[in-house]
Amino acid sequence: MSEVRYYDIRCVRGEVTRIDIENRVVESAGTSFFDRTVVRALASNGWGILIRDHVDLDSKHEIDTLVREAARLAAVTKDHLDLADAPRGTLPVPPPGEDPREIDLEEKTRLLAEIEGAARIPGVTNTRANYTEGVDTVRFLDSEGNENTYESIRSGFSVVAIASRNGVMQMGSEREHTIRGFNLRGRHDLGRKAGEVAVSLLDAKIPKGGMQRAVLDPELAGVFTHEAVGHASEGDLVREGASVLGGRIGERIGCKGLVIVDDPTLHEFGFMPVDAEGVAVHRTEIIRDGILTSYLHNRETLAAVGDGIAGHARAEHGAPPIVRMSNTFIENGDATREEILAECRQGILLIGSRGGQVDPGRGVFQFNAEYGYLIEGGETTGMLRDVSLSGEILTTLHNIALIGDDRRMNPGYCGKGGQVVPVSDGAPHLLLKDAIIGGRGE
Amino acid sequence: MNMNGEDLIEKVLREGERLADEVEVFSARGRSVITEIKKGIIGVAEESEAWSMAIRTVRNGQIGFSSTGDPDRWKDCLDAALASGRLATPQRWGGFPGPAALTGAPLTADESLTVAVEDAARLVDDLLAGAAEYPVEVIGGSADLGRSHLSISNSNGITYEIERTVVGVSMETIREQSTGYEFDVSPFRNDINPHAVGERAAMLAARSLGGRDIETGRYDIVLSPVAVASLIGQVLIPALSGRNVKAGRSPLADSVEEQVFDESLSIYDDPFAPGPGSTAWDAEGVPTRRLVFIDQGVVRRFAYDLKTGYRYGEESTGSAVRTGSEPPVIGVHNLFIDGTPEKEPGYGRAVWVHDVVGAHTANPFSGDFSVEVANPFWMEDGELVEPIRAAMLSGNVFEMLGEIGGFGNDVRRVGRLTVPSIRLNNQQIIGK
Repeated sequence: MSEVRYYDIRCVRGEVTRIDIENRVVESAGTSFFDRTVVRALASNGWGILIRDHVDLDSKHEIDTLVREAARLAAVTKDHLDLADAPRGTLPVPPPGEDPREIDLEEKTRLLAEIEGAARIPGVTNTRANYTEGVDTVRFLDSEGNENTYESIRSGFSVVAIASRNGVMQMGSEREHTIRGFNLRGRHDLGRKAGEVAVSLLDAKIPKGGMQRAVLDPELAGVFTHEAVGHASEGDLVREGASVLGGRIGERIGCKGLVIVDDPTLHEFGFMPVDAEGVAVHRTEIIRDGILTSYLHNRETLAAVGDGIAGHARAEHGAPPIVRMSNTFIENGDATREEILAECRQGILLIGSRGGQVDPGRGVFQFNAEYGYLIEGGETTGMLRDVSLSGEILTTLHNIALIGDDRRMNPGYCGKGGQVVPVSDGAPHLLLKDAIIGGRGE
Repeated sequence: MNMNGEDLIEKVLREGERLADEVEVFSARGRSVITEIKKGIIGVAEESEAWSMAIRTVRNGQIGFSSTGDPDRWKDCLDAALASGRLATPQRWGGFPGPAALTGAPLTADESLTVAVEDAARLVDDLLAGAAEYPVEVIGGSADLGRSHLSISNSNGITYEIERTVVGVSMETIREQSTGYEFDVSPFRNDINPHAVGERAAMLAARSLGGRDIETGRYDIVLSPVAVASLIGQVLIPALSGRNVKAGRSPLADSVEEQVFDESLSIYDDPFAPGPGSTAWDAEGVPTRRLVFIDQGVVRRFAYDLKTGYRYGEESTGSAVRTGSEPPVIGVHNLFIDGTPEKEPGYGRAVWVHDVVGAHTANPFSGDFSVEVANPFWMEDGELVEPIRAAMLSGNVFEMLGEIGGFGNDVRRVGRLTVPSIRLNNQQIIGK
């Protein structure tokens, strides 16, 4: 067996607390436990990776055995890879305002039930609320002598209301996830909003599909940033030839004034004090003034591709680190919301997000708004439901006609390679010309 | 695992019985390997071992749950389950199942399967050889092999055990800006043809190159089994769940015995057919059965687990499933979309759609969706004749299944679903 060039071990031990309330019934409320370790080793070629339950990181013997075993697996790999050097360091984790661990499950359940109850307004036939709290203790060490350990606490809730009338069902949903501590107090407003949106949507129309001007609200514009630019800038996809942004550093891919950033140091939902390879985290400007400037990298993709910095490796517990976004956003421009609506004149305003997906190789993405409004003469008029938007990465960013001055960040979860990690994304209001709107309305 | 699993389960049941009316322990241990393609060759070899235990307790109609991946924390886990039960809303409860006769023992494991990275590497070699049949670049792909052992025991005296194997392959290719993705998963090695999967992924990328634009309008379309499974999985399967039906989240709730769908369409769950979800007992130890949900377009029944069944006075249909160490939920084992292929669904001229991008954004309550299509082609008399560059497809899953233009004879398994391609006439396409 060839010599081990490098290894690292990442152990995540934690607890997950979940509460599920539907139609005033507490379906479940409780805590589960996990303790998973990922060992990666590099010998002459590619990665050998071993995943185990509850490994004793203080046992030199156990670590040696696991590293040897990981290196043995690597013998079937053929790809040769190198790791770029990268600065080390761990940021302090901001203390949570009110530590959710200090609050008993009964109180959490009661507060969640109040939010769920607030969604039950006339016309609403189903209400559901979920609370999730994750407390992780992360320990990392590698063969280069780096070690770090930190604790992360995330908590939040979602509330969904369904309204129905004459066989028509519509949904409204609100969510708030945070690293800033317990957030269930005094949030009836979000429950009520979910209910109101669901009821209003019963009378909303389906949009007419085709090319139109579109105004994206900050939440949806954030998802747009994530799907249209974020994924395609991930260094692993670039290395594999799976991104249309490969080989385009220095090229203009968006309008002047457009700045797109991924910043894991921000105290938003995608915050991490250090990346999953023990590398210090920094802000990366993916696009500056419309020009593609950097990719997002881990040590491996930085060595292979260049253009950018490492420090964007993330991993779900029990899974190997891959290149991921953290807090991704479009920087503010100088247009007000009113100016954007006025400039749009005729078009569609899209609000909130039901998710999206991208094929970065083909350069095509799709995402869906929770609802929208027709814009007529610069004013919002009739409500719309089931509004989707699709576009092409290389042309869409040129179609941003105005950038607002009111950026907001929204928390969410992003899936890639079977791993789900917490992220946030955001943007100010945006005006898109020539947007492809899906819909079968007449 | 250097511990005696059966002794531990026995200990949890005995201790749990002292503190609750009933206890259930679901335990899983498994080993899996995966080899991943990087830059057209194998770049990662991974092996994973996992053990988990999920405990449910019932006391005075209050159901508690917890799980752990650490056998040394079994007492914490039991305590957490009991604490969880104290907060749950009490409900009508008729007990965990006791011993019962199981109908049949479907084959769930491939005895000859070895879980070794060397074998996974050979599958990758075949995938790559298949992809080499077309002038494309490989941008990703993998092969995985796994074997797991699942057991369920409860304080009413049942213990069931099952062994599962899994073989999966996937391949991603590109030619310029044209991509192709294919995959296959089965419990049995001989079901999987990695060369064919690689070749098909490459064909999709190679032949989709140079697609022409399509004008916005109404077209007859043929959804491939992959596209059908994506849309049905997001919209129709949730509508068949008894919990959603009783909670006011299923648009089919008031449609039992009504002709809602095209009379050529039947949908059933067959846990005894060979597939990734085959089992003679469900995730709560209830004997499984063949369930017909939609019979020639008529809604016949919905799926129930114990909790929803007891609460609403319905019988469990043996439809509980679990993912990892999560609590059991209502699901399907091996779902079949069954339609008699009357004639070739690609007759005349139609738009063939391999897959859809963004199926998870479909509205599960109304059935409305608006998605980007992947690898669309003009189809003439069943043959793919010319690629289409890009388009969106807008429609409603429930309406689509109400008027079906025909089923293909290209039935294939996509995860837990086995589906043919489906022709739908007069659908809305948005061109670019």
